[in-house]
Amino acid sequence: MGDLLLLVACGGAAGAFGALLGLGGGILIVPLLTLGFGLPFREAVGVSLVCVIVTSNAAASVYLQRGAANLRLGMTLEMFTAAAALAGGLIAFALPERVLAVLFAGLLAYVALVMARGRAPEDAQPVVAAPQAPAVEGYPDSLSGEGYRVRHLGRGVAGSLVAGIVSALFGIGGGIVKVPLMNLVMGVPMRVATATSNMMIGVTASAGAMIYLLRGGIDPYVAAPTALGVFAGASIASRLANRLDLKLLRVAFVVVLSLTALQMLLRGIT
Amino acid sequence: MRIEHLERRIGLVLAVATLAGITLVGIGVASMALTGVRPLARPYPGLDWGRLGSDIWALRPEGLLWLGLIAVILTPAIRVGAALVGFAAGREGRQAGIALAVLAIMLLGVLLGHGG
Repeated sequence: MGDLLLLVACGGAAGAFGALLGLGGGILIVPLLTLGFGLPFREAVGVSLVCVIVTSNAAASVYLQRGAANLRLGMTLEMFTAAAALAGGLIAFALPERVLAVLFAGLLAYVALVMARGRAPEDAQPVVAAPQAPAVEGYPDSLSGEGYRVRHLGRGVAGSLVAGIVSALFGIGGGIVKVPLMNLVMGVPMRVATATSNMMIGVTASAGAMIYLLRGGIDPYVAAPTALGVFAGASIASRLANRLDLKLLRVAFVVVLSLTALQMLLRGIT
Repeated sequence: MRIEHLERRIGLVLAVATLAGITLVGIGVASMALTGVRPLARPYPGLDWGRLGSDIWALRPEGLLWLGLIAVILTPAIRVGAALVGFAAGREGRQAGIALAVLAIMLLGVLLGHGG
């Protein structure tokens, strides 16, 4: 019973921190499960993917009902994130866990660095109206929304492939790739990019999770309580976000993330 | 159908599916607590399609947990399916084709997963 409650609580903390700081829970869940509960890296990634799907579903349902996400663009790009997630899942089962841990340490260090500069990865650029460039008439134009035109679809596809692989390898949503990609490269306003990325994360993580699920990489005893905690934590935190001063929280988070990166690195090389 | 209406409907479908999935997960976790299952015990139960039905019928924790987790993992596919229906109804052939391609990729995941 104690372990069960602890898993729910850790999931809750990860979901809450993720929601407050604009991160997906995956970046927190994988270290919590590997370093805190001693789970093998690959099992932790499988659990994390389930949690990422839960948070994405909950957020995307709200974004879609409010008309904040670009459904056509999101579905076009998720063809590529989902296909890449399948590849990422297969790669994850082929690579040694130590290599995955070292690569994940690099990812943690990157996120800590971005946050130390004062921005959450998903709002790395405070762009309200994204920089505009002449859009090519044709398919990309049909993906455009009110007040903006989608451009550089080819680069968007290339970036989506990277996001899909990263998601399935490390159990994260991949918003740290997709949001800046859509905003800075494709000319999508920040709010729309964040909402669309959130929507895409579900399909991307689901494709990756399918590989983990069918290859025995998801532990139901750990995944279910953690996912339940993440859902509760994220739901509560999203209602508190406007009332909290996030500066101190962010500083503490950078320190924790940096130390975790170091521990993950040590786990990988020793 | 206007895209805004379609997005609202899909959002609603997703909200209901998400709530259903997480409720099932919650029931599974409650059954773990009631039967005294230790979550960090090894080995953990793998997904056995042959036993899944009987485990659910007998209200065993592993059956209920797998039911909830599978529901959660499949929820995004439900959203894509709803979009496929909406785009097809609105005669947006290209977007319907994209939705179909996304579903096909997810199905490919099932085949690749079984291949390991």
